Amino acid sequence: MSDDLLVVDDVTIAFGGVVALHGVSLTVRTGEVFCLIGPNGAGKTTLFNVISGLLRPSAGDVRFCGDSILGWPPHRIARAGIARTYQIVRPFSALSVLDNVAVGALAFTSSKREARLQAREIVEFVGLGAQASRRASTLTLTQRKRLEVARALALRPKLLLLDEVMAGLTPTEMDAMAEFILELGARGIGAVCGVEHVMRLVMRISHRIVVLDAGRCIAEGDPKSIQADARVIEAYLGAPVREAL
Amino acid sequence: MTVVQLVVNGLLLGGVFALSALGFNIIYGVMRVVNLAHGDVVVIAAMVCALAFGALGLNPLVLLPVAVAGGFVLGAAIHRLLLRRLPAETASTEASSLTLTFGLSFFLAGGGLALFGGSFRSVPFLTGAFDVGGISIPQAKLLAFALALVLAAALAAFLRFTAAGCAIRATSQHLEGALACGVDIDRVRTLSYGLGTAVAAAAGALMSMIYNLNPQMGVQFTVNAFAVVVIGGLGSYAGCVLGALVLGLANAFTSYFVGASLAEAAPYVLFILVSLLMPSGLLGRRTA
Amino acid sequence: MAFLIVAPHRLNGYFVNLIYITLVYVGLAYGWNIISGYAGYFSFGQITFFGLGAYATGFAINAFHVYWMLAALAGGILACAFAFPLGYVMLRLRGPFFAMGMFGMAQTVRVLITALPATGAGAGLFLPPGSDVTSVYYWTLAVALGAIALTIWIDRSAFGLRLQALREDEQVAGTLAVDVTRDKIAAFALSALIPGLLGGGFIYFLNYIEPDAAFSSRFDLQSIVMAILGGVGTVWGPLIGGVLMTQISEALWAKFPQFYLMLFGGLLVALLILLPHGIVPALKRRYE
Ligand SMILES: Nc1ncnc2c1ncn2[C@@H]1O[C@H](COP(=O)(O)OP(=O)(O)O)[C@@H](O)[C@H]1O
Ligand SMILES: [Mg+2]
Repeated sequence: MSDDLLVVDDVTIAFGGVVALHGVSLTVRTGEVFCLIGPNGAGKTTLFNVISGLLRPSAGDVRFCGDSILGWPPHRIARAGIARTYQIVRPFSALSVLDNVAVGALAFTSSKREARLQAREIVEFVGLGAQASRRASTLTLTQRKRLEVARALALRPKLLLLDEVMAGLTPTEMDAMAEFILELGARGIGAVCGVEHVMRLVMRISHRIVVLDAGRCIAEGDPKSIQADARVIEAYLGAPVREAL
Repeated sequence: MTVVQLVVNGLLLGGVFALSALGFNIIYGVMRVVNLAHGDVVVIAAMVCALAFGALGLNPLVLLPVAVAGGFVLGAAIHRLLLRRLPAETASTEASSLTLTFGLSFFLAGGGLALFGGSFRSVPFLTGAFDVGGISIPQAKLLAFALALVLAAALAAFLRFTAAGCAIRATSQHLEGALACGVDIDRVRTLSYGLGTAVAAAAGALMSMIYNLNPQMGVQFTVNAFAVVVIGGLGSYAGCVLGALVLGLANAFTSYFVGASLAEAAPYVLFILVSLLMPSGLLGRRTA
Repeated sequence: MAFLIVAPHRLNGYFVNLIYITLVYVGLAYGWNIISGYAGYFSFGQITFFGLGAYATGFAINAFHVYWMLAALAGGILACAFAFPLGYVMLRLRGPFFAMGMFGMAQTVRVLITALPATGAGAGLFLPPGSDVTSVYYWTLAVALGAIALTIWIDRSAFGLRLQALREDEQVAGTLAVDVTRDKIAAFALSALIPGLLGGGFIYFLNYIEPDAAFSSRFDLQSIVMAILGGVGTVWGPLIGGVLMTQISEALWAKFPQFYLMLFGGLLVALLILLPHGIVPALKRRYE
């Protein structure tokens, strides 16, 4: 119980008539890789928006390290240790790559110099060292994805929400990203990955999986049990994807 | 009785506001450009009508089609020659188009001032009034109201039933979708800006019958149009009409109860309050 | 620098006035640049704070007979203090809504002051006779230099980086632990302090103030054009743009008073198309 990092408890939210999340519950533990899988429109991004404070659910609760974070402004949630990336990358286009990352580092220092020093390390770590002083708008899509991760890391999160970081990467890059996600656990960071496809990787890296479909959790468990779950196969994985497993 | 009279005044005024705001709304809907030069076109058209009436005896009804045509050409030219030339990579195009129309507004107001001078003008046309059970209905206001409704209906029909109108609506609703369907966005934008400006000019021709105007009052009509669109809800044409009636009523009541000088602030206050409290307006779907 | 310090003692009145006006505009452009350039909230109504500073200063002088600089300091602080609640409310608006909301705020305050007899209403607020241009000059010089120093600090500080981040994407900045509400209100307050202090000097310079001058949208337009010419969100843009544009503006005013507004609006439009990023970024690109 004590190593429950994030508890999402019966969260419901609707946009007009579309119920994007319908009583979703899940628990993420420290150092765990938790995969949230589900087809496009299942509600993964919406759940990330709820957890990071951009959306307020109409019912349910979100607890982080034991505190209810419902209604906290996003910056307070970020400071408490939840960082996220955006599925549709959103770099600060006019700022340099280094400054993009330094913004996150400002959570711990009021010195821009110090923030840039910390940012430099992270930028090197994600392999953007050579682009550090370029404007973020000049990056390629892959580089932007890395920038998303770098910015989030600068917050030194306890929990990292990765929204479709695999999408658009080449197979080699995906493998590298998978290694990276596994490494997070070793550093004591919990990770939640929202993933639409690439099941091969999901099965390899996750400790636990929740399957979302049309806003509902339809299955939860370790990779083995998910692969075996008939409902999942029927509702989501389908024949073509089963081949990929 | 006074209240009924004020309601009548407000509604009559609201009709013309609605027409002007429809033009503003088309431009915003298609281009996401808040056209700060809108009211200046209204006022300049009114000035031209007043001069033509004085010099040639042409009444605003005759000038209405001329105003529409002239407004269209002016608007299309502004889009082709200016707005379209804004560099795409300007960090925030919204800010740069806003600033451009801000400059354009001063250009037109200043031009109007240089051409027509600062004095107030109007068209003394149909100056009588009907008396309906003690309520006075000025003939010019009634005519302007009726014509505004006719034009608004014509505009709605154009948007609904013609191919070009369809392209305009598609582009306002979903830019990428329209692009994917092969809509020539650039032409649609020129058309919309022309159309929006033509509507502003038509509103100006009608205004000239009911208002005493000078070239520096454009900004008030811009704010009126903006306020109407915000009240009604951005992108909603029915909201536009509703918002205009609300603003017309607000105008009539504040002028009567607190005086014309304080009433000048009414659209601003209404605009600020509505955008703060009801960001999607009365009938709008999109939020700001 | 030395030239600016000895100027009031060496030059004739015309040039001292010209430098004074330049300093006022440079200061206004720097003030605008903080909220609109760094934080990305385009405002068409920062002149509100100039007018408030001027009126507050006039009141303090008339009511308490304090030395004018003390009164102007109080006026600046008052404008700045007013910016906190105002910013808390208005900064919920975005893009054109904020820009026009601030425009509406300036107009509303102007209308209110015109309606209040205590402020001298439309006739204006008069100070006891006898003003001292040299002291106003030094005050304004100090404020302008202070504004530049403040901007240099912002540009190098963590605060400035947070403002730039929220300008680019407010939501993302929030999820990166930037307290966007606090930071943008702080930027807004700093952006109000500078015009507030300048307004205090302005009323003492003229020895009286009237609503149309204190809340002049032309002043606003000019300072915005200056910042755009120099480069929005840059340290030296407002200085370069301000100095250049004041000279152009004064020359236009002297030569073509009747076309002044029109030419100025046209200049803004041309600038946005031909030099959209302003002088400083254009130079930077060239030498990179
Ligand atoms: N801001 C929004 N307004 C209206 N509907 C939304 C909004 N965000 C998401 N939705 C809807 O909620 C559902 C879930 O979307 P999303 O969370 O993006 O799914 P996923 O990330 O799993 O692909 C979809 O039907 C989507 O259309
Ligand atoms: Mg998604």
